[in-house]
Amino acid sequence: MVKPIELKNVRKVFSHPMKVWTKIESVKDLSFSMEQGEIIGFVGHNGAGKTTTIKMIMGFIRPTSGEISVFGKKPGDREVKSKIGFLPERPYFYSELTAMEVLKYFGKLSGLSGRILADKAENVLKKVGLFDDRNRKLASYSKGMLQRIGLAQAIIHDPELVIMDEPMSGLDPIGRKEVKDIIRGLKRDGKSVIFSSHILSDIENLSDRVLIIEHGKLKSFGSLHEIIRPEDVRYTIEFSCDKSMKDAVFALFDGVRIVSDRFVLDCADISDFNSKLAEVVAKGYTVLNAAGSYPSLEEIVFKEIREEENGQR
Amino acid sequence: MDSVKRIANVSFYTFLEMVRSKVLYILLFFALFIFALGIGITQMTIGNVQDIISDIGLGTIEIFSTVLSIFLGISLVHKELSLKTLHPLLARPIARPEYILGKFFGMVLLIVVEIFVMCIIFAILLTVFGGFSRFFGYMPAVYTIFLQTCTVISVAVLCSTLTEPAVAAMLTISFYLIGATSYNLVYAITSRTSDFVKNVVTTLRYVLPDFSHFNIKDNLVYGRGLEGLSLGFASVYALLIIVIVLSLAVMFFNNKEIS
Repeated sequence: MVKPIELKNVRKVFSHPMKVWTKIESVKDLSFSMEQGEIIGFVGHNGAGKTTTIKMIMGFIRPTSGEISVFGKKPGDREVKSKIGFLPERPYFYSELTAMEVLKYFGKLSGLSGRILADKAENVLKKVGLFDDRNRKLASYSKGMLQRIGLAQAIIHDPELVIMDEPMSGLDPIGRKEVKDIIRGLKRDGKSVIFSSHILSDIENLSDRVLIIEHGKLKSFGSLHEIIRPEDVRYTIEFSCDKSMKDAVFALFDGVRIVSDRFVLDCADISDFNSKLAEVVAKGYTVLNAAGSYPSLEEIVFKEIREEENGQR
Repeated sequence: MDSVKRIANVSFYTFLEMVRSKVLYILLFFALFIFALGIGITQMTIGNVQDIISDIGLGTIEIFSTVLSIFLGISLVHKELSLKTLHPLLARPIARPEYILGKFFGMVLLIVVEIFVMCIIFAILLTVFGGFSRFFGYMPAVYTIFLQTCTVISVAVLCSTLTEPAVAAMLTISFYLIGATSYNLVYAITSRTSDFVKNVVTTLRYVLPDFSHFNIKDNLVYGRGLEGLSLGFASVYALLIIVIVLSLAVMFFNNKEIS
């Protein structure tokens, strides 16, 4: 089956805007592919190369080297574009047009017309919560409303692949929830979605796979569980015992601490966890909780950035 | 056929966006002001009032059309690039040449409407001063003003794809000034210089735009007829400039990185 997006060793080098002889490598040897029907969350700090990568996938800019294919064809191909919905970062639309006019404009360019276009425009406006404001000029729209109309134009033609650059930016919590619901709805309908966001909890909640990019290089790509390294999992044992045994417990386990009348024991890795758990049980202490806890995406990303800065990876 | 539809769509919404622009109404106000000034001048000038009104009327239509096409044309593409309204548009199944042609025809549509409105005002003025019978005789002049303006729009579109509005304005105004003066300049230079310079300048005349092919309004106002000026030639000449300039615009825009 043709993959919605496939990148092989993609590089993008820009000339410095002030010093043309100075080159800036925005994307470095980036390779990844997307499966049909999945949601990929694209993470990286400002200037990491997310938007540049998205623009190359859209065919707005050309890679310096490497290959990009979208539905097996080159980006920018007319047939390919008819299958894509695109929401740019901080979308801005024609301020003198109304929301309905903008949707009809984009809908017509995607080959829709007549009653079908009118129905789709109304439905999508209802979906993004702008139906009551459909005849207002976009000049009077707030940033969040522009974000919503951006989302509406991206999905009006029922695309197979939706590419969104910071779709949650500028939205209030209710708006963010609505957008998340729309993204989940797209997945339910079998659509593929790739979106970038600074809001890591949103990426964590929505994505099947997460793509972390740092200084233009791919740092990690996979499901949250795949990108968590074994050493990142924190294993802890919580147990209780008679107060008279407190000194014995402290003598037995290095680094044990007391939290709310419980002993909490942090373990270095899974084997340390198993051996300590066996010891706790052998001593007859009451095990209250023993589990490995996974770091959040935020913790993973911060760790990646710290390691990148320290030159560890 | 689909391509024509896409171009027509871009044209229509470009027109709709611009026709609601405040800049248009500010310029229209100035045009009305110039008409009013013209009426004032007729009271202070010796000569045929209808000639003066006709001269001012056609002159205002030409100047206003040119100013409008430069002011709005120079930012046609650049504005979309800087505001990034271009990105969701080019994400659609539309080719870049279709977009450029759509923008051009959208602007042309605006000029058609503008010239139509100005002609109505001009006709009213002529009627007030008892010269309405002359009005339809001026239509060839209005047509050549339209042709000339279309060439200016094409240059504005080209410049808008290449550079920012301030530089685009300078380049487009330069094109207009060269076009408006090249005939007289070439005549002045060739009448008093060496054969070599004469040859160079004469060759340049065929390269530089020459709006004398469109300048028939004086002939019509003062009853001299077309005097060898051909509407057919003017049409072909304008078409040639537009095709060359828009081809360049398409070529540049096709290779442009939309960042």
